[in-house]
Amino acid sequence: MRVSDQQLFGSTAGSLTRIKEQIVRVHEQIATQQRIAKPSDDPTIFGEVVLEKSALADNEQWVRNIQFGTARVTVADKMLGEAQNLITRVRELAVQARSDTTSAQGRVTIAQEVRQLHRQLIQLANAEVNGQPVFAGTKTDAPPFVLGIGDAVSYQGNSESQSIAVGPNQTTQIVLPGDQVFTGGTTNVFNGLMNLLTALEGNNGAGIEVGIGALDQMTAQFSSAQGQIGAIANRLETAQGTAQVVSEAIQKIMSSQTDTDLATALTELKLQETAYEATSQTFSRLFDLSLLKFLR
Amino acid sequence: MGINRLVEIGKSALFTAQQAISVSGHNIANVNTPGFSRQEITLAENRPENGSPGQIGTGVHAESIRRSFDSFVEGQLLASRERLGEFTASRNALARLEPLFGDTNNIGIGAGLNEFFGALQDVATNPNDLSARTVFLSKATALASRFNQSAADLTSAQEFLDRQVGQTVTDVNRLTSQIADLNAKIAYAESSGQQANDLRDQRGVALAGLGELIEVSSIEDATGQLTVFAGRGHVLVDKERTYQLVGVPDLSNNGLLDVHYDAGAGSTTDLTPVIQSGRLKGVLDVRDQTIPSLRTSLDTLASEVVTLVNQQHRLGFGLDGSTNQNFFVPTGTTASTIAVGLTNVRQIAASSTVGGVPGNNANALALAGLRSTDVASFGNVTFQEYYSMIAGSFGSTAQGVDGNLRAQEILHDQLTSQRAAISGVSMDEELANLLQYQRSFEAASRMIVIADEMFQTILSIKR
Repeated sequence: MRVSDQQLFGSTAGSLTRIKEQIVRVHEQIATQQRIAKPSDDPTIFGEVVLEKSALADNEQWVRNIQFGTARVTVADKMLGEAQNLITRVRELAVQARSDTTSAQGRVTIAQEVRQLHRQLIQLANAEVNGQPVFAGTKTDAPPFVLGIGDAVSYQGNSESQSIAVGPNQTTQIVLPGDQVFTGGTTNVFNGLMNLLTALEGNNGAGIEVGIGALDQMTAQFSSAQGQIGAIANRLETAQGTAQVVSEAIQKIMSSQTDTDLATALTELKLQETAYEATSQTFSRLFDLSLLKFLR
Repeated sequence: MGINRLVEIGKSALFTAQQAISVSGHNIANVNTPGFSRQEITLAENRPENGSPGQIGTGVHAESIRRSFDSFVEGQLLASRERLGEFTASRNALARLEPLFGDTNNIGIGAGLNEFFGALQDVATNPNDLSARTVFLSKATALASRFNQSAADLTSAQEFLDRQVGQTVTDVNRLTSQIADLNAKIAYAESSGQQANDLRDQRGVALAGLGELIEVSSIEDATGQLTVFAGRGHVLVDKERTYQLVGVPDLSNNGLLDVHYDAGAGSTTDLTPVIQSGRLKGVLDVRDQTIPSLRTSLDTLASEVVTLVNQQHRLGFGLDGSTNQNFFVPTGTTASTIAVGLTNVRQIAASSTVGGVPGNNANALALAGLRSTDVASFGNVTFQEYYSMIAGSFGSTAQGVDGNLRAQEILHDQLTSQRAAISGVSMDEELANLLQYQRSFEAASRMIVIADEMFQTILSIKR
């Protein structure tokens, strides 16, 4: 076969260009740490990455939601705990007042302390997170419990509950409406305390007795609310754990699909460099093989 | 005739050696000329003279100077150029479109959807928080503008390709008139029995250039003139006459150019559907198929986002008690027209009841749930799954063209090398030829000197 000079130059130039292209490609992968940046790099994986990114965003959002929900649930739980303590203190005072040895004046003094506790309870029930009351149902733009004439307390919130998304098609309630915890359920806590105050100030022993019974009902009602809140907190914790595990798993998969494997990329780079050098060297040898060299 | 014949023979050898050296020199000079075919001189004996005891030779002459040329390889190379032109044009056009899918760097529509639904969830967890609502509204606007931007990019890419169609048509006409011109020159040169080697090479270059633009076939007639056909048998060049291609705006295709054939009879024929190869094919494919199909997919996606979000949004209540409000402008159901209609963040309908305001988030949750809803018009997949399908199928197209181009480049290199083996210049060969003819030139000169000495000898007899 004839070998013309064009062939020699042409094929060498072609090979060198293709090797350079590869070198640039690998270099880009190393520089950006991304093996897949465009759809054409690997259409299947690119499509999967779009979905994985979406799933990752979902899971991260769920974690965000849960953190927000957990803040409210924690405050609600703490407030209920304090409400329990408060009722216990009221009960101690009521039991003391019930004693026949306690004078009418003594009962009025006790009533003063109970009234303070009553006002404290209103504050507890109006607790807020980020400016949003936790026991107002969804009517979160105003304090839910308002002190009216005398010791009467009215509920301004509603009976609705807020839920947040915590997982694929899963929502969790994060609000116990105040009418369930304080003014509704089995007993109206504020009415019970108001009646007790009336009995104390009216020196009404039988009324105090009734009031103590009501206090026991309040404790039970708070306990049940605490139980519910505890269950919600558990669910949130579990859901957060799941979402975090899934997020990590997705990140790992994505990283394995799209990140540059340095070892592979560097090996590839070395390989292409060697090919480039070898081609250049053989080319210069071939170029030396010319009749011209021997004709001088 | 005696000694004179010897001088004549020497002269013929001198001339022929000079000619041969010129041919080699021409070859060496044109080693890098594109399309050049190596030329060879063929030598023949001069007609002998009758004599006794037999015919006696009268020297040498150059019979012809011909190109080393294989029309089969040239044909293959031309076909390869057509494919190469097609794939290169497609690849460049598709590479221009790929940045639309910047999702691995969080700048595509898919990333926009993620941010949109993420901000919506923040509204669901903080329904009475105005800042969460403001963020959501701005993410929604950003999503709409990502759609708008993609649509605008598609349009500008299409217009860019359309200008390429116009430019390519002009290039085709320029090359065909070159070929017609060379046809005339070749016919003139060869009518006197010459071989128009260099003109033929030039015509070959023009034909190869034409092949990169559109698929061509050609027939050479007895006078050496080429008839060139394109687009299923339409004559572009017939001897010295050319027939033009013209770009005609197609009103049924947004005024984009169709490639028409002007037979010179007043009316033109649309060649667009029958163009098989070359840059025109590559450009037309992306302009008329890939881009419209991408646009349709993005329009479908935008339309469903608008329809489903609006439908759910109308059911809810804003902080100000407003209800039955559209979130997106209901008439903007394409990627280029999608726009957020709501301006007051209080009107974002997070609540499912009028009384549940501001803390009720049930409608916001339902809106956020659209993210995982299967949409019938997508074939029962979610927004993201549909988008992923669009990106994947575009990626496959681009990857396919990339692969084809790379394979074609290698094939083309091989064919070029094959052509070079036949028509390329080898320096070694030419140097060897130079030496060979230099020696014969020297020997012929020697012959003339000898003849001269013989004359001297005879003339000296008289003295």
